[in-house]
Amino acid sequence: MKAVLLDGSRHGDSSSQLVRPAIATELKAHGWSLQPFTLRELEIHHCWGCFGCWVQTPGRCLINDVARDIAAAVINSDLVIHLTPVTFGGYSSELKKALDRMICLVSPFFTKIGGEIHHKPRYERFPYLLGIGTVEQADEELKRIFTKLVHRNAINMHAPAYAADVICTADGPEAVQLRVRSLIRAVEVEQ
Amino acid sequence: MKKQALLLVGSAHQPRSTSQSLGEYLLERLAKGGLDTETLFLHRALRSEETTEELLAAVDRADPVILAFPLYVDTLPYLVTRTLELLAAHRQDRDLPGGQRLLVIVNCGFPEAAHNAVALEICRRFARETGFTWAGGLALGGGGAINGRPLSQVQGLARNVIRALDMTAEALLRGEAAPPAAVALMERPMIPAWLYIRIGHRLWKRQARKYGTSGRLMARPFVPS
Repeated sequence: MKAVLLDGSRHGDSSSQLVRPAIATELKAHGWSLQPFTLRELEIHHCWGCFGCWVQTPGRCLINDVARDIAAAVINSDLVIHLTPVTFGGYSSELKKALDRMICLVSPFFTKIGGEIHHKPRYERFPYLLGIGTVEQADEELKRIFTKLVHRNAINMHAPAYAADVICTADGPEAVQLRVRSLIRAVEVEQ
Repeated sequence: MKKQALLLVGSAHQPRSTSQSLGEYLLERLAKGGLDTETLFLHRALRSEETTEELLAAVDRADPVILAFPLYVDTLPYLVTRTLELLAAHRQDRDLPGGQRLLVIVNCGFPEAAHNAVALEICRRFARETGFTWAGGLALGGGGAINGRPLSQVQGLARNVIRALDMTAEALLRGEAAPPAAVALMERPMIPAWLYIRIGHRLWKRQARKYGTSGRLMARPFVPS
């Protein structure tokens, strides 16, 4: 099984120092292969909002950079992991820059899901979604907003199932490892 | 010193965006009410260190700050997320003027305004963390119906939007936040969802004809051959 990690951490922050190694260790222990993208090290242009990926070159962004490779890796994976410092409840700009470029994976046409309008899936299968946010101090509001965002992403990006949590890095490496383990298990149970 | 209302447009869409249309209309009402106004486009403001400094300085001297943006993948687009990160870093440990208000206008391409809820929660949290006074969040669904046109050209279709922005401008000029009635009016669908979808699908197909991609709109370029 293939996992893609979209690492939206900033240089030296706790997401990369504590959580990313825990993710790699747990996935390896569970027999997953991992393709990580350290987004801050990649030259990714922000989305132009042109919808060219829907009408001009359907399914492929007009901008020819590494985000195309990321989109291909994501859609051909079994699990995509959003790793990010929680930023006002949402994603870091590093992660968001990459995610904005993933709309090529869905169709411009609409469909109804759970009584709401969403975009139709472009592909037959989509990866499961795991959203892991990190904070330095526990904060219930941030956790609530973040998990709601991952839930919304799971609907719009047609994830068969998802798991999301905010990990407080002040809890220490052992607690982080255990939390990551239980999140990966949660996704595996769904599969 | 005279107050200056600042509009930050968070859409990179060219030549004009719906975010721009909504923000500009509100700004015009504020100008008529006696405020100086300024508009900055984030895709230009974040291009260099120099323009970023100008953006931060413009926010420092503004009240209210109006942030208008499209919903991308359920939340703020990159340009807006990056701007909030920069503003937060800039405002940390600073003597702030106090009472600076932040009003947010977010629009999405889905017919339901409810898709914008998480984005507004994030903006509200940002305001609290960075010392802004929350002046309200207006959420619009079906932004494609405006499609970057000035609201004066969309009149009947956008009548609730216009009323919501008029009420918001009056409130801001009185030093108040957007009233709940304005928030509710903005959330009302401009056209029924079924009609919006039908028109939307027709427009995508028309664009496909223009680009010679008819019949390929559902292409799957990343499926291994």
